[in-house]
Order: sequence, then structure tokens, then C-alpha cells
Amino acid sequence: MVFNSLTFVVFFIVMLILHNLPFTWKVKKINLLLASYIFYAAWNPPFILLLWLSTVVDFFVGRALYNQENKHKRKLLLVISLIGNLGMLCFFKYGTFILDNFTHLVNALGADFHPAKPNIILPAGISFYTFTTLCYTIDMYKKKSEPVKSMLDFSLFVTFFPHLVAGPIVRPPQLVPQFESPRKATQQQLMQGLLLISLGLFMKVVLADSMLAQSANDVFNSKAILKTLDAWTGVLAFSGQIFFDFAGYSTCAVGVALCLGFVLPQNFLYPYAAIGFSDFWRRWHITLSAWLRDYLYIPLGGNRNGKFRTYINLMITMLLGGLWHGANWTFVVWGALHGAYLWGEKIIQDFRKKAAVVSIAAIPSGELGVLGVIPKEFKDKTLRNFMYAMITFFFINVTWVFFRAPDFTSAWHLLTAMFYGMPKAEALLTTLSIIKVTVIVVLMVAFHWMMRNTRVLTVAEKMPWWLLGTVWAVLLLLLIWSQESSSSFIYFQF
Amino acid sequence: MNNSSLVKAGILAFVLMLIAVFSWEFYLRSKGFETSFNDDPALWTDKRDMVYEPADKATVFIGSSRIKFDLDIPTWEALTGDHAIQLACVGSNPLPVLDNLANDKNFKGRLVVDVTEGLFFSTSPGNARRPVENMKYFKERTPAQQAGFFINGLLESNFVFLDKDWLSLNACLDEIPLKDRAGVNNFHGFPSDFGRVRYNRQEYMTDKFSKDTSLQNKVKAIWDGFRKASKDPPVTGAKLDSILNSVKTAVNKIKERGGQVLFVRTPSSGPFLMGENMGFPREKYWERILTTTNCAGIHFADYPAIAHFICPEFSHLSQTDAVTFTKEFIRILNTEKGWAFPKLSVTAK
Repeated sequence: MVFNSLTFVVFFIVMLILHNLPFTWKVKKINLLLASYIFYAAWNPPFILLLWLSTVVDFFVGRALYNQENKHKRKLLLVISLIGNLGMLCFFKYGTFILDNFTHLVNALGADFHPAKPNIILPAGISFYTFTTLCYTIDMYKKKSEPVKSMLDFSLFVTFFPHLVAGPIVRPPQLVPQFESPRKATQQQLMQGLLLISLGLFMKVVLADSMLAQSANDVFNSKAILKTLDAWTGVLAFSGQIFFDFAGYSTCAVGVALCLGFVLPQNFLYPYAAIGFSDFWRRWHITLSAWLRDYLYIPLGGNRNGKFRTYINLMITMLLGGLWHGANWTFVVWGALHGAYLWGEKIIQDFRKKAAVVSIAAIPSGELGVLGVIPKEFKDKTLRNFMYAMITFFFINVTWVFFRAPDFTSAWHLLTAMFYGMPKAEALLTTLSIIKVTVIVVLMVAFHWMMRNTRVLTVAEKMPWWLLGTVWAVLLLLLIWSQESSSSFIYFQF
Repeated sequence: MNNSSLVKAGILAFVLMLIAVFSWEFYLRSKGFETSFNDDPALWTDKRDMVYEPADKATVFIGSSRIKFDLDIPTWEALTGDHAIQLACVGSNPLPVLDNLANDKNFKGRLVVDVTEGLFFSTSPGNARRPVENMKYFKERTPAQQAGFFINGLLESNFVFLDKDWLSLNACLDEIPLKDRAGVNNFHGFPSDFGRVRYNRQEYMTDKFSKDTSLQNKVKAIWDGFRKASKDPPVTGAKLDSILNSVKTAVNKIKERGGQVLFVRTPSSGPFLMGENMGFPREKYWERILTTTNCAGIHFADYPAIAHFICPEFSHLSQTDAVTFTKEFIRILNTEKGWAFPKLSVTAK
């Protein structure tokens, strides 16, 4: 089920009613759990079995890990959990990719190996719930938190429908305590939740799907050599589309949870106003970057083993972060580019001997999503900082080419078109498409810049009620008027 | 902002939204708009599910837009007592759907294939986009999408403003007259009176369109744009043989299961028809379909009652002419091709 569907509207209304009826807390939690399974099974019912398997295995392995004193047995249990979770992820997400690469390799070595194409369907959100359960077992291994006492609470932690399919990736201490005592949204939480849902749907349906998706698809699917204007418009359209799609989903997820009385971590903080690339990762998909930092980068050694190892660890983290997004070398290159950007940034910092931009290594393990404190000097909205932000935005756009292009040939064609005017290049996009993309992207960047040090609910709460009501009505009307069908969110495929 | 202010803002937003939506709805109704359905993969899939109905009670139609306009389903169903299942897709090559039905072992019914040569013999992937999208949806449809289709249908059948093709935000923006750069293909700009869609997927032009030559000229200009944008010459030689062989293979699969296939060439007129006759001479294309597949066919030009329609925009029939065409089509099927229907026994000559 997707948030931007009429099915979800009906489902959500039923859930709100059930959650506010005078049932016991346990009954309400069972309702939420069953609803979460229905929410997930509405895609592909058989895959619910994977979710159950992951939940049951990690619940018992997690508890055993925490209680087991024998070092070797603890390691063995951890390996079982890692093999279970990562094995499932590898099979479903990377099975075809691994086989393809293996086939290329052995054929390049002279063998004549042509296996049948496996027809593996990717279960929705597998990367998200695998990371959710993985962090639980790793925390249990490190005894960072107490094991979850009840199977019901643990199942709900893994399966809670607002975050299940595309995050935010939650940690046990963020959500499990919220299941331990009765929760019901206050009137203010309910209204804030509804406002966030309206905003999230507006971002997804109106801006991503209705205004930007077509231009991005036309440019990235084109086989022609395009004019520079078309290439840049397509890339900027995708830049806006991916943000509005994913941030729209996250905003809806936070809003839906809030309407039920639960608080989920923020996942986006106006990333296109980022000053530098570590700042970008503090603002883009915050819960994933925090996860990679705490469960990959720091265990690899972080910045504790000298400069050289710091650079290597950064690159490994970004490469695996890229691969997490999809089983394709283009995602690896996307991650490598971000790794290279972070290297560049760090070299400049080291050269200037300033700690103005804190690399993700130096940020303390944070909670509730935000990756540490934004350096003070970058909080000022000066012209210089704006220019830095635009330079960052420019480089981020280059990385999106690899993220969205189906293969390297297409990516190369597009990059060539972006930076060199080809003599026989073709015009592709209509004037209206170019105007739509330009207006939306300019407004998006301006909005990010204005909002970079604050939150949408803070701003909304400062507005006069009649102004907020009018803006809210405009969002809803544009949502209805756009009449986009319930297309899937881009991040569901990850 | 305190709690009550947030509630006030929410109530204001809700009231403003209701006022705007219902004002828009009443305005559209006052302008003569009727409900129209989004002809999306979900609606197509709903019809695709019906192809397993018994062969003596249902007929499946595939093809391009012409059969969607020219077959008047209420007339067909009233005269024959037979259920018309419309699977044709606008601007599309019907062969992917033919192949899909041929490979579905449970389909053993009666099939009418509409032939618009420019699309039927097209090898452009763009002309297969809609059928491929529809079939993908049919194969991968989720329970949530099924429920969504049901709820959406309830709303679409009651609200005129829910019309994605003509009244959505993007459709309204497309009405802005903007000049495009040289070489840009922009096929937007069909007038909203041209193609309204019923729940049974029949498409029809409004009476206003049938009478208004300026609206008709807009569509004629779009057809001309398509012609100029088309870079590939009609297929010939080995490519043509390959297409015909694939059609034969698909048709044979259906016949082997007891199914029945008939081809129909629906009317066109004016320069459009002249262009089609020049590009796709009847003996080299239409006749070869029939001889290769050994199927019956109905070419509009062979029957005086349907040979001389004037299509308002050269390519599709008006509502009135669609009724006339459908009646004659049924008569030919029943009396000359030996097709029996629940309300019509065979009276073949």
C-alpha cells in the first residue's frame, strides 16, 4: 500500500478510529501490528513470510546475544544473525547482480558459462527492514541497549507500517519505549500529523509525480544526443523529483505516526541548502547516513587510525552506501563520487587546518536522526555561504546522473551533453516542461535556503491561523487537482 | 501557535477545500462536462480480467483508438446480447496484446483485431508503450491496487472534475499556448471534447466536437504533426514477413484452443485515408494479413453502408456514425461471417 493512494486513505481512517476506541493498550498494539501486516501484504502477500522470519530470528538471537556470556558463542550468534539478514538481502536484492558479474568474469577468463536468468522479485522495503533488525542484533551484541521484552513490541518495532517500507530507519531506543506505555495522539499532534501528511503528499504527488517526473524520465530514457539545456533540465528535474519523492514519503511517515501518537526521527533537513558534502549527508536520508556511520564507518575504525585509514574508511562507507541503493555499478559510482567529494572536502579542511566542516567521522553518535551539530559559521545565511551551497548543489546534481541513468553509456551521453554543446544535438523538452522544472527547482533551492536552520512545524506554528489554513487548503487543492494515480515511491525499489 | 489555532487552521483548510472543489464541480457541470474515466492500466486490467467469459457470450476487441471510437458498445450489447470487452489502446500497436492473449492458455474466446496499418505494422517501441504498461500492471497488480481501483471508480463515476486527461493540473497547463523550439515533438493540445471515456473503455467525441470545425482542425493539425515526426517508412520485405509470421503464430495458438479471430479495418477519410492507402496499399498489407492468418476480415471499403463515412478529424467516427457502423458491423458478422450471438442466431448466406 502506498501513502498516495485512496486505499491508504480508507485504511488510515479505519486505523485512526480503531486506535482511539477504548481498547486496552495490548489490543491496540495488536491492531497496529495486524494493520502493519495488511499494509505490507497489500503488495505481495507471500513476502510477509520473510518479514516474520526476520522478526522471529532476530528477536530470539538478539535476546541470546545479550544474555550469552561466552565470547565464542556470542560471535557465533552474531554471525547467524548477520548471515540471516544479509543473506536474505543478498539473495533478493543482489542475486541477479552477483550472478551477472560472475558470468561476465568467468566468460572473460575463457569459460563458456551462460546460466538461466533468475527471476527474483525484490520484496518491497527489504533494505529498510533488514537494516532495522540488523542494528538491533548489533546493539544486543555490544550490549548498547536492553533486549526488547515482548515479542509483540519487537514485531511492532520491525513492522510498524509508517516506517516499514522506506524508513526512516529507526533504532530500538527510538521506537521500542514508545510501545511500552499507552499512546494516543494529542489534538495538537493529530493536527500536526495531518499537516505533515498533506505536505508530504503534496511533495510526492504534485511536485515529484505531476510536475517533474515526466521531464526527468524523457531525458534519462532518451537515446538521442541532447542539447545542453535539455540535459541540465532533465538532471535538475530528477534532482527535484528524488527529493520530493523521498522527503515526501518520509514526511508522510512522520505525520502518520504522529497522528497515532508516535514520534519518528526526521529524515531530511533541506539538503539542497547544504554547505559541503558532509553537511549534505547530515541533511539527506539522515537515518541511513547515521546508520552507516554507527554500524559501518565507526566499526571500520572511523578516523581513529590515522589519515590514510580515515580516507579508506570513508570511501568504503560511501561505496557500500551506494550499493545499498541498488544492485548496479552505477550506484557504486554514485557512492564513489560522494566518497571522492568527502575526500576533497577533508583535504581542503586539513590544508586550512580548520575544523569548520566536520566529517561524518567526527560527529558523535547522535540520536533522533540529526547527524550532530551544524558548524556555527555555516548557520549564517551570508552570500558566501549561499555560493558554497550552490557549488555543493552543482556537484550533487552531477552524482544524480549516475544514480538515475540505467547504464554507464546513458550516463556518459548525458554528462557529455551537460558539459559540451554537441553539434547535432536534439531538442527534446517542451517549453512548458522547461518552465515547470526551472520554476520548481529555483523555488525548491530558495525554500531550502530559507528553511535550512529551522523546521517546517516551527514555521507553521508561527504563522497566523488564517494564513496557515489558506496555505494548507492550497496544498490540498493542488493535490486533488493533480489527479496523479498512486505511483510507487522511488525508494521502494531500494 | 497554540493548539486551538492549529485546529482553526485545519478547519479553515478543509472548508476552503470543500468550497473550491464543489464550485469547480458545479462550474464544469454547468459547462456541459460529463463524467469521464481515466483510461489507465487499472481500467484496462479490469477488462482484461473478463476475457475468460464464455466465447458465445463475449467478444474481445483489441486494436488502436479507432475501434474504441467506432464500436458503440451499448448498441453492440443491445443488439447482440453479447458482452463487448474493449482492450484496444489509443495510439498503440495491438500485437503485444494479441501475443498476450495467444499465450494465455485460458483464453479460448472470440477476438476482433482492429487494423490501423500505421500502428499495426509499426516497429517503434513507443507504439507498444501503452499495451506493455497495461500488461505489466495486469501481471503485477497488488491487492492494494485492486482496492484502489474500486474506490477510484466510485469517485470517478460521480465527479466530473476527476478527469486526468482533460481537467487535471497538467492538462490545464498544457492548454497554455507556448511556442516550442524547433525539433521538439509536442503532441499535447487535443481538445477535451475529442476523447471522453466510458467505464467500458469506449471512447467518444462530444456532439460539440462533431460540429465544431475549429476543434476538428486542431486534431487534424496534430495528425499532421505525427505524420511529419514519423521518420520510418512503412515496413516491407523481411521485416513485414516477420511481423505477419508472428501474427500468424499468435492467431494459430488461439485457434488451436477453439478460439476465433477476425480482423477489421475501421473507417478513415480524407487525406488521412489517402495517405494510408499510399503508404500501406491494401493488397500488400491488409490482404496479406488475411491470407497469412487464414482469418476472416471486414474492410469498411467493401460495404457501401459503412464505406463513405466522413470522419470529423479524418480518423474516428462521430457518436452517430459509430452507432451506424456498429449496426452494420453486427449484420456483416452475423449474416456473412457466420457469427452467432445470444440474441442473433446464424443467418449466414
